[in-house]
Amino acid sequence: MTILQRIKNKVRARSIHVAYVDVGSCNGCDIEVLACLAPRYDIEQYGIFVHNNPREADVLLVIGAYTPGWEEKLAMVWEKIPDPKAAVAIGNCPISGCLFNRRESFVDPPVKKHIPIAAEVPGCPPRPTEILQAILSVRDSVFANWEEEHP
Amino acid sequence: MKRTVDVNIPLGPIHPCFKEPVRLKCEAKGERIVGVEVELGYMKKGIERIMKGRPWQEVMFLAERVCGICSVIHNMVFIEAMEQISGISVPPRAAYLRVIANELDRMQSHLLANFSYCYTIEHETLGMYLLDLREQVMDELEHLTGARVTCAYIIPGGVRCDIPRPDAELLQTSLDRIERDLRRYSGMFADGPMIALRSRGVGILTQEAAQQAHAVGPTARASGIAADCRLNHPTYRQLGFVPVSRKDHDNYARVMVRFDEVVQSIGLIRKCLQDLPKGVIRGGGVCKAGETRYSGEAPRGELTYFIKSDEYGRIVDIQIQTPSIMNIEACCHEMILGADSIADVTSTFVSADPCVACTER
Repeated sequence: MTILQRIKNKVRARSIHVAYVDVGSCNGCDIEVLACLAPRYDIEQYGIFVHNNPREADVLLVIGAYTPGWEEKLAMVWEKIPDPKAAVAIGNCPISGCLFNRRESFVDPPVKKHIPIAAEVPGCPPRPTEILQAILSVRDSVFANWEEEHP
Repeated sequence: MKRTVDVNIPLGPIHPCFKEPVRLKCEAKGERIVGVEVELGYMKKGIERIMKGRPWQEVMFLAERVCGICSVIHNMVFIEAMEQISGISVPPRAAYLRVIANELDRMQSHLLANFSYCYTIEHETLGMYLLDLREQVMDELEHLTGARVTCAYIIPGGVRCDIPRPDAELLQTSLDRIERDLRRYSGMFADGPMIALRSRGVGILTQEAAQQAHAVGPTARASGIAADCRLNHPTYRQLGFVPVSRKDHDNYARVMVRFDEVVQSIGLIRKCLQDLPKGVIRGGGVCKAGETRYSGEAPRGELTYFIKSDEYGRIVDIQIQTPSIMNIEACCHEMILGADSIADVTSTFVSADPCVACTER
């Protein structure tokens, strides 16, 4: 690995832009993601920046149980994110559909069927610290050694 | 001859300023907005369809997940509607504890809405102060109910857990601290010259227009309509509740109404803690057959449940009317029209505090 690659790895792992997309949740996980912005959790000390623009993002937080309104659109959002990228499923909804995955409902979980998911954070809703931990684990597993794995 | 070009500007569904997916299609003449169309349907899960035919024990948790921001009031309105159907009476201590949980929920919801507004007008400092204050309110809510967001605190005939005396004293001291900070931040908002430039006189919703659009909640109260469903609630009547209202009709008034309501909520919780009656917190009872229509005041306005149940306590039919849809309509048909730039569209839309999750369910 060249010095340039080493620098790239280091810089990538220290500067993570996050976009979040709500594909049909109850809002509970949305506000827990927003709560991560609070000075108490202070995500910017890890170099994480929530900007909500898919074209600049590295990590996509997927919230919700995949409603019909997002068919094709979620895949389009995922394609717009430049490599290296990772999607994190926040909450029970994108994993199993939580209590919306019942007869008569419109949702189509899990989100794993539609886009590749790198990490899952169960909980209804998960705590902000757990969300933060998931983003950091993705940082270490996807961004910190991207150059060696993709020569 | 000068030619003005009409432009269609779509905003959303993924937008830095919107917490939830909603698409606004703005028609602009130059920079001035002449028409707005709102496109919903990104969050339709069909909760009412899932609820039908299920026992109230399950529907209670579904009702809470109609909206994650104001989950306590959805819980409270559903349970009080079931109590009205079955004739279950609530012990006075439980009724007061319900008010405490509900007002804490209202505080965090209003602080989040004001954070969103400050973030949208790019006053991030004040936004972060408010978000930090909200975390303190969330701590109190967690201390009281056991969970941060969907806590299922209210059950038919009472509440789930009691507040011991040391916890009540802790809540009192926390409220003092929160109120001190809140007064400083609302003063910052009220006196900030840059905030006034972005907020005063933007997004006017006159009283007639608000009545015509059936605006509810803080949006209506900022337009001079002192309507509040808490006036009809027996516990709030005991506490001598009077709604706040302002007559400025603009974005500034809507945010200030929310600040005033947070201060008012602190007062209500103090009063509840002061004359908290002694006794049991659960009276018990059986859910029976019947149908009713019950309204409560959510942080965003009037929330109505229409419920029909059978003799085993199963929900046969349920309809939910949430406050945000009226405010979104008022926002698109009145407030945004005539905005001077696209930047004012997002801030005006956020100032009405739309909650898309409970609008679409």
